Amino acid sequence: MAFANYLAKRLGFMAVTLFLVTLITFGLTNILPGNVALLILGPNANAESIAQLEAQLGLNQPLFVQYVDWIVNLAQGDMGMSLRYNTPVVDQIAVRLPRSLLLAVSATAVSVTLSIPLGIIAAVKKNTPTDLTASMLAFLGLSLPIFLWGLVFIYAFALTINGFPTRGYVSPWVDPVGALHHLVLPASAMGVALTAYIMRMTRSSMIDELSEDYVEFARSKGLSERAVVLRHALKNAAIPVITVIAFQFSYAFGGVVVLEEVFSWPGIGRLTLTAIENRDIPLLQGCIIVIALIYMLSNFLADAFYAYVDPRIRYGGSD
Amino acid sequence: MNPNTTDPLLSVESLRTQFRTEEGTVTAVDDVSFSLEKGEVMGIVGESGAGKSVTARSIMQLIDYPGEIVSGSITFGDRDLLSLSEEEMQGVRGNEITLIPQDPMTALNPVLTVGQQITETIELHQDVSSAEARTIAIDAMREVEIPAPAERIDEYPHEFSGGMRQRILIAIGLACEPDLIIADEPTTALDVTTQAKILDLLNDLREKHGVSILMITHNLGVVAQTCDRVGVMYAGNLVETGAVSSIFARPRHPYTRTLIDAIPAVDSDRDRLYALPGSMPDLKSLPDGCNFAERCPHAVDACRTGDDPTLEPASDGEGGSHAACIRSDELDLSESAVEAGDARQQKDIADDPLLEVNGLKKHFPSGDGLFGNLSLARTDGGGLTLERRYVKAVDGVDFTINRGETVGLVGESGCGKSTVARTVMQLLEPTAGEVYFDGQPLHSLGKSAIRSLRQEMQIIFQDPKSSLNPRKTVGQIVGRGMEKHGIATGDEKRERIAELLERVGLQASDVDKYPHQFSGGQQQRIAIANALAVEPDLIVCDEPVSALDVSVQAQILNLLDDIQAEFGLSYLFISHNISVVQHICDRVAVMYLGKIAEIGSVDQVFDAPYHPYTESLLSAVPHPTPETQPERILLDGTVPSPLDPPSGCPFHTRCPKKIGDVCETDVPVPEPVGGESTHQISCHLSEADMSDPLYETGESDA
Repeated sequence: MAFANYLAKRLGFMAVTLFLVTLITFGLTNILPGNVALLILGPNANAESIAQLEAQLGLNQPLFVQYVDWIVNLAQGDMGMSLRYNTPVVDQIAVRLPRSLLLAVSATAVSVTLSIPLGIIAAVKKNTPTDLTASMLAFLGLSLPIFLWGLVFIYAFALTINGFPTRGYVSPWVDPVGALHHLVLPASAMGVALTAYIMRMTRSSMIDELSEDYVEFARSKGLSERAVVLRHALKNAAIPVITVIAFQFSYAFGGVVVLEEVFSWPGIGRLTLTAIENRDIPLLQGCIIVIALIYMLSNFLADAFYAYVDPRIRYGGSD
Repeated sequence: MNPNTTDPLLSVESLRTQFRTEEGTVTAVDDVSFSLEKGEVMGIVGESGAGKSVTARSIMQLIDYPGEIVSGSITFGDRDLLSLSEEEMQGVRGNEITLIPQDPMTALNPVLTVGQQITETIELHQDVSSAEARTIAIDAMREVEIPAPAERIDEYPHEFSGGMRQRILIAIGLACEPDLIIADEPTTALDVTTQAKILDLLNDLREKHGVSILMITHNLGVVAQTCDRVGVMYAGNLVETGAVSSIFARPRHPYTRTLIDAIPAVDSDRDRLYALPGSMPDLKSLPDGCNFAERCPHAVDACRTGDDPTLEPASDGEGGSHAACIRSDELDLSESAVEAGDARQQKDIADDPLLEVNGLKKHFPSGDGLFGNLSLARTDGGGLTLERRYVKAVDGVDFTINRGETVGLVGESGCGKSTVARTVMQLLEPTAGEVYFDGQPLHSLGKSAIRSLRQEMQIIFQDPKSSLNPRKTVGQIVGRGMEKHGIATGDEKRERIAELLERVGLQASDVDKYPHQFSGGQQQRIAIANALAVEPDLIVCDEPVSALDVSVQAQILNLLDDIQAEFGLSYLFISHNISVVQHICDRVAVMYLGKIAEIGSVDQVFDAPYHPYTESLLSAVPHPTPETQPERILLDGTVPSPLDPPSGCPFHTRCPKKIGDVCETDVPVPEPVGGESTHQISCHLSEADMSDPLYETGESDA
C-alpha cells in the first residue's frame, strides 16, 4: 500500500507540474510581442484580413477561452499547425522526438558507463592520486562547454582518424550500421560532458555510504572489500545518483541545442530553435510541452526506481 | 572464569594503535595488555575516547586509514593475528571472531533483507548450499528468539523494531559458532526494557555455547550484570583489571572509584554526585606520567613524571586485581569518595504553580500519505478508501510545576516526552489543552506575546553541538538573548556574559571562542549560560546529559542543582535515564504512549504501589553493583505505534499484570493512591495489586 501511495503521490505532483507548465507555456507565448495573424499574413496584410484570420484562429476570444481551447486540443493530441512548415505540429514533433531520444539515451549510456566505475574507484581510493586523477578528468569534462567537446571529438575522431561522420542523422530502421556510425560522435561528446556530475555524485554518495556502520559491520563478517563495496554500499549509494542521471538525461534531451547544431542532428532542440527564429508559436508551444513532459517522465521513472532500490519506500516504514 | 584452562583464548600484548591526523598523532590505544579465557566474559569500560572501541577493532584488524596498529601482538588460540594476511584475516572475521555492533538502527544494510545479511556470512565461512544456509539462518533467528523466523527472514531491517534488529545482529554473530564475540556497546542505543531483554539473551547464549565475550561498554551497570572480569580504560591506557566483584567492592585505581561514584544510583539517597573536575586529556599531547594525574584526587608529584604507570598486580592478590597506579597499594578506595553530609542544595519549593498543563494533546498528521495525512487504505471488504491518519504523540497530559521545583518526564523513546516539552513551550502548537505559565494562558496568547514570554522559558537540548550556532562566538550566543529581551547592552552585557561563563564553570576569556573549540560537557555549559542569560523562571531540559560521559554528566547535574538554588529556577527535566531523573527531580511523571501512567513525588513513584509500567521500567535498570541485581520484569513485544494506539489502557498489550477485558475497553483515569492526592496512577488494578511485587508471583516470562 505504501508503494501505491508513493506512486500516486508522485503522479499527482506530475499532474500539477504539467498544469503549471501549460499555463506558463501558453502565457509566455501570448505575452511575447508580435501579432500571430500579422506574422502569418506578412507585413503587408490589411486590417480586415488580419481580423478575419484572428477570428478564424480564435485570437479575438478572451485569453481564458483561448487557453481552454488550446488545452482541450492538446489533450486530444492536436497542437495546431506549424506556421513555418504549414503541417501539424504533432507531425513535426513525431519525426524529431525519436531522434532526440536516441541521442539522449546513447549519451546517458556513455556517461553512466564512464562515470559510475570512475566514481566508485575515486571513492574507494579517496584522497589518493587515483582519486585526484579521476576527479580531475571528470572536472575537465565539466569545465569545457559542451559544443567544444563536440569540436574536440570531430577533430580527433573524424578529421584525424577519419573514421566517423561529423554531420547528420540516419534512421536506425533504414540503416542500423550507418545510424550507429552517425551516433558515435555526438553521443560520446555529450556523454563525456555529462560524466562529471554523475561521477562526482557517485563519488560523494559512495564515500558517505562507506563510512556507514553497516559497511564496517559487513567487513567484520569477513567479506572482501570488493563484496563490501559492490554488494553493500553501491545499492545504497545509487539512490542520489539516480536523481542526477535523470536530470542529465532530460538535459541531454532538450537542453543541448548547441550540440545538435554542431553535429547537424535534426532533433527537438533544433526544431525549438527553428520555432523561435520563425516565431512559429504553435510549434514552440508543442516543443516546450514535449520537452517538459520528457523531464517529468524521466524524473518520475527515477522516483519509481528509488522505490525499487529502497525497500523503505516500497513497503513503507518509519525511518 | 575457568581456572583449568592453561592457554588463554585471546591474549593482547602491549597493543598500540595510532591515528595520524593533520594536527598530530593520536595514540588511541597505548600499551594495552590483557587476556581472555575460554568461556569468559570480560568487560572493557571507559568514557568516550578512552580507546575501548579501537582496542576491539584492533583485535579484528578493522582499523581504517589513517589508523594503524603500531606495535604489540594479538594471539588468538595459537595464531598471531597481526601476522595474518588480509585474506587470512577475512577467514577469521565473522567466523571465529564476530562483532556485535553498537547501533542496530544503522548496522544493518537497509536495502538487503535480513535473510541475505545472515546467510551471507554463513555461505562465506561454511561449505553449505544456499538452501542449507537459509535453514541455519532461520535456526539462528529462532535461537535469538525472533518470533516466526521462517516468515520474517525475507523482511527488510526497517520492518523490525530496534530490539529485534539487535537480535538479528546477534544471530549474525552466532551463525558461524564463533569462539569469541566482541560486543561493542550492544545495548547503548536501546531503551532500558529492551536492554534488559538483550542482556538476558546474551547471558543465556553464553551459558549455552560457552562462547567468550569481550563486552565494550561505558555502562558499569551492564558490566555488573554480564561480566566475570572487567578492564577499565582511560586515555588509551588500561588502568585497572580484575574480577567484577572485587572491582566494585574495592577499586584499585582512583579513576575506577570516580567512575563508580559519578553514577546516580536508583536507590541512592540523592546526595550530591561526585564530579571529577576537567575532562580526559587530549590524546595528541598526553602529559608525562599518569594520564589521570591531572584530575586525580590522590595524585602526588611522582605521578606527574616518567612513563605511564604499568599494570601491576595488587599486593594482596585479591580478585586478581591489577592497577596502573603507583599509589594503588597505599590507597584504600573501597569507600565512596562522596563525603557524608555533602548533600544537594537545599531549596524552597513554593506551593504556587508556575506552569500548569491541562489536557494537553499534540497530534501530528502522518505525513507519508497521499496528500498530507490523507492516505490510501484498504477497507474491510478489500476495496480502496481514503483515511486521515494522525500520530498521537501527546494524548491528554496534565501536570503542574511549582516555583523552584524540578519535575521529571520519563519514558522510553517515542513516549511523547520531548513533544510535551516543545508543546509546553509553544514551539509546537498544541492540538488541544491549556497551558498556563505564571497565570497567563499560553494556548490563547498571540505569537508576539508568546515571544516576549519566551524570555521566561528557556530550553536546553540533548546535543549542544547542534543547538549552538557554530558560526557565532560564545559571547554572541550568550549575549543575543540579553539584547533581544532588553536585559543588558554594551559594557553591562559584556560584564554579565563574563559573570555567567564563570558561574557555569567556564572562563571569562572563553567569550571569543567558537563552540567547536569546547568539549561536549563545556558546550552544554555554554547552553546553560545561554539559557540563564535572559533570567528565566523555567528551564526545560530535554535529555541534557544523555550525550555526555558519566563523569561530565555528574558535573552538569551538580551545576543544574546549584543554579536552581541560586536563581530559584523551575525545571522540566526530560530523560530516559531513570537514575538521573531519580537523582535530580522532586516530582516525576512516567509517560507511556502519549499519556501519563503515573505521577507523584520521586519517593512515591519509585516505591510501591507502582503502575505496572513504572515497575517494569525500574526493574530493567541495570544496577552498577554486582550483588544487588533485582529480578527483572521483561515486557513482551514493543511499544505499539502511536498511529494506532491500543484501545483502553495503552499499556494493556504488554502489561504483565493485565486483569482482563476492562484493560482493553476502558481508558483508566489518574486516581490518587495511598490516600495522597499528589500520587496518581492511571490503572484498573487495586492498590494492593499494584503494591504486590511481580516477580514473586512467578508471572515474569522471558
